[in-house]
Amino acid sequence: MRDEPAVSWPMRAVAILALVILLLPVVIVVLAGLNAGEYLTFPPKGLSLRWVIAFLSSPTFMGAYLYSFVLALVATLISTVLGTLAAVYLSRSRSRAAAILRGFFMLPVVLPGVVLGLALYVFYVTTDIGLARSFPGLLIGHVLVTFPFVIATVTASMVGFDLSLEEAARSLGASPLTAFMKITLRLIAPGISAGAIFAFIVSFGQFETTLFLTVPNHEPLPMAMYISLRYKFEPTAAAAGIFAIALVALSTVVSARLVSLRRVFRA
Amino acid sequence: MSDIRLVNLTKSYGEGNAVSDVDLAIEEGEFFSLLGPSGCGKSTTLRMIAGFVRPTSGRILIGGDDITALPPERRDIGIVFQNYAIFPHMNVAENIAFGLKLRKLPKAEIARRIEDSLRQVGLSGYETRYQRQLSGGEQQRVALARVLVTEPRILLLDEPLSALDKGLREEMKFWIKDLQKKLKITTIYVTHDQDEALTMSDRIGVMAKSRIVQVGTPQEIYERPKTLFVTSFIGHSNVVDVAVRRVADGMAVVALGGSELASRAGAGLAEGAAAKLVVRPENILIGTALREGDARLPATVVSETYQGAIVRYRLAVGDQEIVAERQNQAHVERFAPGTAVTIGWAPDWSETLLA
Ligand SMILES: Nc1ncnc2c1ncn2[C@@H]1O[C@H](COP(=O)(O)OP(=O)(O)OP(=O)(O)O)[C@@H](O)[C@H]1O
Ligand SMILES: [Mg+2]
Repeated sequence: MRDEPAVSWPMRAVAILALVILLLPVVIVVLAGLNAGEYLTFPPKGLSLRWVIAFLSSPTFMGAYLYSFVLALVATLISTVLGTLAAVYLSRSRSRAAAILRGFFMLPVVLPGVVLGLALYVFYVTTDIGLARSFPGLLIGHVLVTFPFVIATVTASMVGFDLSLEEAARSLGASPLTAFMKITLRLIAPGISAGAIFAFIVSFGQFETTLFLTVPNHEPLPMAMYISLRYKFEPTAAAAGIFAIALVALSTVVSARLVSLRRVFRA
Repeated sequence: MSDIRLVNLTKSYGEGNAVSDVDLAIEEGEFFSLLGPSGCGKSTTLRMIAGFVRPTSGRILIGGDDITALPPERRDIGIVFQNYAIFPHMNVAENIAFGLKLRKLPKAEIARRIEDSLRQVGLSGYETRYQRQLSGGEQQRVALARVLVTEPRILLLDEPLSALDKGLREEMKFWIKDLQKKLKITTIYVTHDQDEALTMSDRIGVMAKSRIVQVGTPQEIYERPKTLFVTSFIGHSNVVDVAVRRVADGMAVVALGGSELASRAGAGLAEGAAAKLVVRPENILIGTALREGDARLPATVVSETYQGAIVRYRLAVGDQEIVAERQNQAHVERFAPGTAVTIGWAPDWSETLLA
């Protein structure tokens, strides 16, 4: 194990403050979801599991939760594979085209989600290729939004990657594919895992782009929460938020464990 | 057969050549060094042989087979990189097993070979260590074991000692040479260190600016450098301006400081040409040390520097300076600064080259 680097007290204070500010909304949502009152209020009027149970027994919310989960899973799978391949290519190519491509791939991060959603929607409708308000159409949107995160993390893990490792494998008899799978892929696995976590979290919480692409009567969780709040100001949405936060936290912890387990294994 | 032929091998990277027209024949079992300054194209040549760089033109033959178009994994050539390239996610045994598993050898055979090869490189008991638990020298032995265990036809080494400290470098120099001799594996060794090349090689190819400028045994390279570049790159030499008087039978008579001296004549030397006389400090004799038939000329001692095993003299000859090194032994005469002396050398141990 590496020693913790020394961090000065002022830095620690700033870090703790930042953490508190970042976690505050999470705390508010959790408390609001545990509200005992009729309406979504803060501070809550007493604590109870009333709305948690309401969420668990609501077919709309549970369906949306499951739908978002599957959508995020599939989108993550696709963008992890595509993003990894793209990042490996981009970090090895010295051509001008690669630099331009990199910028192009990262575009969805800087482009407002609303603009991307609208653009896709207009494209689907005008070309009439059957993607408008369909699962594949929505999935494409989510892949576009999530795969820059995979590219970013995998590219970071490729920095300083020693190409002679792959060459050594080649001259020992490995085909290009074998060398890539047994050497490169194994060494950039932490970057890939990190990218996959990001992709999952981003897809699970994606709202703006989703807005234009959802299949009627199959709303992902963020949409379902929004719609529910527009009609009744009930804490069920906040209870759903608790489960969304729990899933994201769980996936982060699990993946971090997987990655560091591999590190431990190596030691 | 595993002799290597490079036929007009050339690699250009847009602006200029990294390797130009390299033509070489390396014999089976030979230890051949490519020696040259940084950027002269040694690594590029080696990487073309290994298959990582596609030649712009020319051919590579091993044992008569043209392998120019083969991918690295089908060349049966082992390479050890300067940074050793030990796979960091595998332990020593797994590193060594890598090539064997790809060859689909039975498990027991792989285990046996790992054990043998670790014994061969003196690392028995290191099986479960990882790269970051190994010193530079140990990593290098693992890299060698990993390559040799697959029994390649050719071994390529790209500056394998340059990352080690001086003491270890000396030790590994002899260790690698002994191992190569024992295995009789055709080896190409890339280095910019003349000591390594002179100590280890059967033959040396000296490279400069993308070309091979001279090929020969260490003795030929050291004693009979063909160009001023080789002269200046290998060891230290006196290089002084002379006027060529006569050239005949491979010998030249040149004028230096009012004296006429005989020396070997380099290629293309003709009467009246601008030329440089090359003679190594250790071959210069002073006073009574001179023998019958030596080239002689008068000189003045400028300074005397005591260096323990040797004594170093700076000598003025006309308006030029020559450095002489004498062994500091019993009965060897010493000369104080200001003394007028006769210096000289055996004509065969000096050479006049075109400037
Ligand atoms: N991929 C490349 N693209 C462009 N130029 C290259 C490339 N590889 C090598 N070169 C150039 O070719 C020349 C020879 O390089 P090479 O690596 O063969 O030199 P070297 O003799 O091994 O030097 P060193 O002792 O520093 O390792 C250098 O001028 C180098 O800049
Ligand atoms: Mg090199």
